[in-house]
Amino acid sequence: MQDLPWLTTPPDDFNERCAQLAVHNTPVNEVCALAKYALSINQSNRLFQSTKKSNPEICAALSNSLTPFRLGVVSNATMDLMIPSMFTAAIRNGVYLEVINTDFGQVAQEAFDTDSKLNQSNLDAVLLALDYHAYTEFSGGFNPVGDESPSHKAFLYLQQIRSAFSQNGGMPCITQTLACPSYELAGNFDAQHDGILRRSLTEFNRALIEDIQNSADVLFDIAALVNMVGSNQWFDERQWVMSRVPMANAFVPLYTEYLAKLIAALRGKSKKCLVLDLDNTLWGGVIGDDGLEGIHIGQGHPVGESFLAIQQWVKSLKALGVILAVCSKNEREIALEVFRKHPGMILKDDDFAVFVANWEDKASNIGEIAEILNIGQDAIVFVDDNPAEREIVRARLPAISVPELPKDPSQFIRVLCAARYFEKIDFTTDDAQRNAQYMSNIQRRATQKTAANLTDYLTSLEMQIRFAPFNEMGRKRITQLINKTNQFNLTTRRYTEAEVLQFEEAADQYVTLQVHLQDKFGDNGMISVVICRIDGECWEIDTWLMSCRVIKRQVEDAVCDELVALARTHGICRLRGLYRPTERNSLVKTHYQQLGFELIDSDETQEVWELTVDHYQSKSPPIQVQQSLLIE
Amino acid sequence: MNQDKSEIIDQLRSIFQDTFTENTHEFSINTIRDDVEEWDSLSHIRLLTAIETHFGVQFDLDEIGDMTDVATIVDLLEEKLN
Repeated sequence: MQDLPWLTTPPDDFNERCAQLAVHNTPVNEVCALAKYALSINQSNRLFQSTKKSNPEICAALSNSLTPFRLGVVSNATMDLMIPSMFTAAIRNGVYLEVINTDFGQVAQEAFDTDSKLNQSNLDAVLLALDYHAYTEFSGGFNPVGDESPSHKAFLYLQQIRSAFSQNGGMPCITQTLACPSYELAGNFDAQHDGILRRSLTEFNRALIEDIQNSADVLFDIAALVNMVGSNQWFDERQWVMSRVPMANAFVPLYTEYLAKLIAALRGKSKKCLVLDLDNTLWGGVIGDDGLEGIHIGQGHPVGESFLAIQQWVKSLKALGVILAVCSKNEREIALEVFRKHPGMILKDDDFAVFVANWEDKASNIGEIAEILNIGQDAIVFVDDNPAEREIVRARLPAISVPELPKDPSQFIRVLCAARYFEKIDFTTDDAQRNAQYMSNIQRRATQKTAANLTDYLTSLEMQIRFAPFNEMGRKRITQLINKTNQFNLTTRRYTEAEVLQFEEAADQYVTLQVHLQDKFGDNGMISVVICRIDGECWEIDTWLMSCRVIKRQVEDAVCDELVALARTHGICRLRGLYRPTERNSLVKTHYQQLGFELIDSDETQEVWELTVDHYQSKSPPIQVQQSLLIE
Repeated sequence: MNQDKSEIIDQLRSIFQDTFTENTHEFSINTIRDDVEEWDSLSHIRLLTAIETHFGVQFDLDEIGDMTDVATIVDLLEEKLN
């Protein structure tokens, strides 16, 4: 995994492109494009030198277009070698990283001295790049336990360092668990006996993880990283004794990539959505050619089980809050049938927020998925087994992460997992503040009426409403709403377009309203429809429905205000409302009651409510009336 | 895998060009550490890593101490690869 196999390999002209940066038309895009590749230490160094050192303008522009982050570093090892790779990995993950490094071994001085470089540098975080060598308690392999275990002493030392940086510098610490070297004294007994290194490190890590969860600090789980790559590969004693390099240099790209992902996550830049191809990505084979019986998914077949493992992983990600979507070149119905009918499938069609299966190009489809979900393209990961599709999407939508995949589906999971797209943070400085904000909101709500806060919220939406009678322009949408609205629908009466036209034309028998709503986020279009049948001095509300998109926004109050005002100008005394319960419209069971109507009759099929117009108190919700039937 | 001297030198040239950003066109079998301004202790580690990764070899402590000129590096590689 040290070569970051989910990234594409750098092009042959990488060095030339770095050299050309100074004269490039769009240097920021070019730096970001170059950073996307799986860069070696040397390549990162070259890109770092050609941006950072020789181009202050590019750096300023990068800092503006990416998320800036100032990171202090203390270590018991030499970290200088890693700084270029930290820089490029950060750019790859949308962050412009400024590293403030300190001299080797200055951990305590930097932490405890209030005037130290790091405490005075106004940092976003400090990386405590400490391995087991940093703790005297772990030297010697076996330290017989006295009053306190070595792991507890080391843990307390680290805790002091962390709280000193918090108090003196006001910044969270990115804190590393400790990888255990391949060091043996008594074999299996090493894990069991107090004071032996292996047991001490296990205890230390457990205590640290526990403690981090209740603090503003952040966990960088190096033990897990080394567990993945193997400690004999990770530790390079030659480099340690020669130059105090903390691990084999070949792992610098991986270490820095994971650090960058953690920092990106701290700034809310983890991926939010996983977009998946279907054929040979979620099952083996091509559904359009092979049919339901021909594809491989499920137990009992090596290929089928490989894809089963992928589906299980995807399903678990969903449970952790990742949005799922499908983008596949397929007949939609044929693709959906697999999810609905194939017994081997773990994923079901309703696991996906968006399901796109058509013959359009995938880049356009993914662009649309981003719009539908209202998320940035940089929050999307697109997984496709087909290298050509990957290449097109990368070229058309450079912000989207498109992992390379091995040919063998049994190896997909490894690469996708190692790519760490969905890094999560529990407690950050931002989160801590956000939590505090939510907490005080809850307290406010306890002392104030909910309505006050709700009104503030609704006011902030800057809603504008437009009322018009039915007309030709609105007719299709009116018919559509009448026929598909189930929840906010008082009578669920369906009408054809021809019938809608009759309401429109019979102005002596019907009063009609189409309602449009706009707010600061955009135009919601036509969201409500009302039809009143004129019955002498009474209007009977034959139809009142509203799109679910705008419920709980007091739109119905604005509609009622309009309706009553309109009734008054027509000399109408009473409004009669009908509620006809169905399986799906219990949402509006108390609709008329809340508006001040009185129940006058009810049977199994309907309730009849009435409002005396003169008694009506205007609701005056925080919605500006932009167009009314009264003014025209 | 047997590799003759000239092949090794060619591959080393491209590794040097990756490791050092300036004046690498003067690279030859006669190049020594003092000739390359950027060849400090830090870039030496990068150079070492690049050579080890590229050729799939590992140098021991003594060998690393001796690697202060191209001729020695070529000799060491020749020995390890053949």
